[in-house]
Amino acid sequence: MSDLPHSIGTCDRRNSAQSDPVAELFRYRHVLYSLTVRELRIRYKQSWLGIGWAVCVPLSMMLVFTFVFTQAVQLVDGMNINMPYALFAYVGLVPWTFFASGLNGSVNSLVSNRNLVTRVYFPREVLPLSAIGAAFVDFCVAGSVLAGLVAYFHYLTPWSFELHAAVLFLPIVVVVQVVMMTGIGMLLAMANLFYRDVRQVFGVAIQLWMFGTNVVYPLASDGSWAARCVALNPMTPIIGAYRDCLIYGRLPQAGPFAYATIVSVLLLAFGWSCFHRAGYQFAERI
Amino acid sequence: MKAGMLKVEQVSKRFERGAGHDTLADLIADGFRRLLGRGRKQSNPDASPDSFWALDGVSFEVHPGEAVGLIGPNGAGKSTALKLIAGIMRPEKGWIETRGRLTALIEIGAGFHGDLTGRENVYMNASILGMRKAEIDRKLDAIIDFSGVEAFIDTPVKRYSSGMQTRLGFSVAAHVQPDILIVDEVLSVGDVMFRQRCIQRMRELVDGGALLLFVTHHLEQMQAFCSRCLVVDGGRLIFDGGTAQAVGRYIDALKHQQGYLTGCTEKQIARVTEFCLRDEHGKEVLVADAVRPLDVDVAFELDRSVANLAVEVDVRQEVGTVLLNFASVRDETAFDAPAGKGRVTLSLPSLPLAGGQYFWRVLLRDGDSGDVIADTDYRYSSVVEDGGRTTGVLCLPHTWTHAEEVPHESNVKLLRATA
Repeated sequence: MSDLPHSIGTCDRRNSAQSDPVAELFRYRHVLYSLTVRELRIRYKQSWLGIGWAVCVPLSMMLVFTFVFTQAVQLVDGMNINMPYALFAYVGLVPWTFFASGLNGSVNSLVSNRNLVTRVYFPREVLPLSAIGAAFVDFCVAGSVLAGLVAYFHYLTPWSFELHAAVLFLPIVVVVQVVMMTGIGMLLAMANLFYRDVRQVFGVAIQLWMFGTNVVYPLASDGSWAARCVALNPMTPIIGAYRDCLIYGRLPQAGPFAYATIVSVLLLAFGWSCFHRAGYQFAERI
Repeated sequence: MKAGMLKVEQVSKRFERGAGHDTLADLIADGFRRLLGRGRKQSNPDASPDSFWALDGVSFEVHPGEAVGLIGPNGAGKSTALKLIAGIMRPEKGWIETRGRLTALIEIGAGFHGDLTGRENVYMNASILGMRKAEIDRKLDAIIDFSGVEAFIDTPVKRYSSGMQTRLGFSVAAHVQPDILIVDEVLSVGDVMFRQRCIQRMRELVDGGALLLFVTHHLEQMQAFCSRCLVVDGGRLIFDGGTAQAVGRYIDALKHQQGYLTGCTEKQIARVTEFCLRDEHGKEVLVADAVRPLDVDVAFELDRSVANLAVEVDVRQEVGTVLLNFASVRDETAFDAPAGKGRVTLSLPSLPLAGGQYFWRVLLRDGDSGDVIADTDYRYSSVVEDGGRTTGVLCLPHTWTHAEEVPHESNVKLLRATA
């Protein structure tokens, strides 16, 4: 018995309203791990391509947008992106797919795990986080394909690639994105538990949001109202930062990136505190 | 080993009736109603008819090495109490203190996913129940062995029978080594052999110093397993003490809850209005002593007079054969009963049954026509306490004597011969 971690399940619920959600989450990190693994296993069970789908989604979208923008309407010339459009789109689509699929998993995370929510105790934060965790694994797999894509364009087209130290900034970009996703994901999961409409609205909103972000087109600098709207969107600096670090070899612009970081942290603080405060109602209201 | 601890103090929990949320359709309908001046009145939530107290000021404490049963009619608040203790819900008032690793078996195999194999589900379920990977690795063989589904452990559990899923689920839970184990009516599935093993495993945990809180409707199981028992009814703790008395209080609660005493079907001209057991002092008892005299008291109401009233009383366990049958007609006894209320008493020198729960049926017949005029079916229930005298079905008064036997001369010779 001595080797068993006795802290598990230990909680004096006399002061539970004041209990530290971060410490509680840390104590249950192994549940987060195994729910993430479960999420991935379920997603790719009885599937021939398996985790390969993580690559297929952004890759096929890249092909579609490349066709549309370079063949069908040929808007690419006016974009001034200094790299092959396919690469530009892929670098935007991979983090965006992570964002969209992580949030999509979060929205349903509480409701689809109803039997866990009503029958087992663990910090409820684990559920949206495990959805984001599973999406993160997909993100890593899809991201690794980028190396092949870069190599292709470097060796087989006039465009050439140079690796810069700025790539070291990439983990910070990922962390900021995860922070934002966690905040939004918790809010969405909680909202969907009380009102199932959220799931429906989310499906539409995430599509619109993608076109309101510089995922498949560069941020215009002409100061039009549309450009200002896109710039206000906190995902815009993050997607831009991926391109800056990976391809352009420069640090992201400080102002917009700081703005995205602040918004992310505020979203997390607000989302998590709402989630934690409402958590005790989940089992009753689900 | 650090001992677990469970303390529940003045805990109350309120639930809302109805859907508990507004849909857009509700909001629109409500808006129209308000427009027409028939708006819903907002009332104080405490007094609102849409909410009720599922638990109301419940306090108890369970100590290490103690197995405590929790019984009560359906909807009494048992599961709510367990969910509060497990931390799944939070009480409106009062507080709950737990110390040690807590495992709540509110549903076996929580989080089992049909597409995952037995082995994958074991890992997942065990980690939700609080085990680390290294610990699961170590115990995996024991878990699979205990479940008895080795042959299918790498098959997705959607192909399992429900019994197999339950066995695997319990098997995981049984290996968690909790300090506090909470079990909610989960052992009713699985076959008899498996149930026995579960009980044995729970016994081991309790003997090892764990504390157990156990909800079941199998009163036999409860009596065999728990020395102490809590009875809840209507959200209140109405009894805390010995299991036999607790079961008696539970049955009493059932009577009050379900209008237990209306033994009336159409066309029957009589109703049994009261059924009770009395000890030799005439005091009503809910727990009958197997070796003491007992009166069975039946009160009834007749719509018309019956000149030749015959009474029959049957006793059996929850299911199975009738163990005892008393029929006034076979004793060549009949009563001339006028219309209105009446009472018949059956006196027994003892009730020679083994300890447990029994069900009683009362039949009234019109002796002239032979028609059944009232039949309560096995609606009444009582508990017999035999003081642990037997593990059989009946408990008859008996004595033992012992005498030393002098060896027979010829036997001794025979023994010598063979040696």
